[in-house]
Amino acid sequence: MQTTNERPVCHRAEDLVTYLYNEASAAEAQDFAGHVETCEACRAEFAVFRQVHESILLWRNEALGAAFSPAPQAAPVLAEATDSRQFVRHARKLPALAALREFFSVAPLWLRGATALAVLLLCVLGVLAISGSWNKQVRVASNSGGQKTYTETQFKNEVAKQVDKQVSDFKKSQTQSSTNVVVGSGVRTTTQQNSPRRELASNRALSRSQRGLTRAEREQLAADLRLMPGRDEEELPFEFPDEPNQ
Amino acid sequence: MEMVSSDEQMVERALSGDPEAFGEIVRRWERRIFALAFGMLGREEDARDATQETFMAAFRNLRGFRGEAKVSSWLHRIAVNQCITRQRRAKVRSETGLEDEAEKNAAVFALPAEISPARTAEGLERSVAVRRAVCALPADLRQVVVMKEFEELTFQEISDALELPLSTVKSRLYTALRQLQMRLQKFGEQVG
Repeated sequence: MQTTNERPVCHRAEDLVTYLYNEASAAEAQDFAGHVETCEACRAEFAVFRQVHESILLWRNEALGAAFSPAPQAAPVLAEATDSRQFVRHARKLPALAALREFFSVAPLWLRGATALAVLLLCVLGVLAISGSWNKQVRVASNSGGQKTYTETQFKNEVAKQVDKQVSDFKKSQTQSSTNVVVGSGVRTTTQQNSPRRELASNRALSRSQRGLTRAEREQLAADLRLMPGRDEEELPFEFPDEPNQ
Repeated sequence: MEMVSSDEQMVERALSGDPEAFGEIVRRWERRIFALAFGMLGREEDARDATQETFMAAFRNLRGFRGEAKVSSWLHRIAVNQCITRQRRAKVRSETGLEDEAEKNAAVFALPAEISPARTAEGLERSVAVRRAVCALPADLRQVVVMKEFEELTFQEISDALELPLSTVKSRLYTALRQLQMRLQKFGEQVG
């Protein structure tokens, strides 16, 4: 054993590197392992060389990517092979979970805390959003001003209420009209006589649109609208056809 | 089932005019040649250029390939020569002032293109120190280290590629590891 650079060197240097890189046969490995137990120089160098080897591998993996393997790929891709500049991008691709684990293992404490807080906040906001959407009333209709919104139940109740009201009003008006009006007589009622002409005209127009006017009704309408010829107007050539709009 | 042709058969096919044969050789060896160039030059950009030049030189000298050696050994020798040539050129540029200070610093401290976002300052310093230590090795030691660590070749494959005796390869690697350890200590690494 000689000494170089203040460290003892064993004559089995070549065996040492063969053993270090796992290229020794089983017999050679067993023989050298026994030697290392008794040789202080080989034991120390083996530990040091292994650290150097690991440092180089670390550099290589960081530079070329952890998944980099110098062995050629199995499947031939000639289109890529012809472009010699394409292969040099060895992106370091980690699964999401592994990347997250790596991040938390090496990130400073404050960054870990901030990330955890952000995730927690995101979760709380998510829960609030979900619960809000559950409790939120389903908007099925709004009033004309757009101010008030109705839930489905409210909307149904409101419709039922309005329908009842309309029915009761209708019944009430029917009862009133049965006492005051002689249906189809063509005689003006008390109510109609007292109502404004405009209301009468509109009512008649409505009934006309539904069933057409009888002659008596048309004459009544003309009289209401002062279209019948008076004594001083008899010479005017007014004629009323049987059917309007002819 | 299609039989996989050997590298030597692919060279013969390329010489007989098969346009895809050389592309297949490139595909088979590009990663290893790139790893070798990266380990020798220490920069991805340089390694990419050196790899491209290696395959271009191989294509130009395809007729000069002797069937006595393996294609892999032939390619490795071309790649090592390309890397050494590039380093010499860079050294000349640096000495004659053609390379400015920023470029010179970039050559020494250039970081790898793919940096993990979670890298710590300690890890960064360590990688830079290792790269500088490897790049500072003499070329004959450096190429053995790179072929072993980056290309993961066996001692016998390195011996074949460099046409050196097996014992020489091992002793060179041993010497290289010792020098690396001393350089890393010098850079402040607690390796030893």
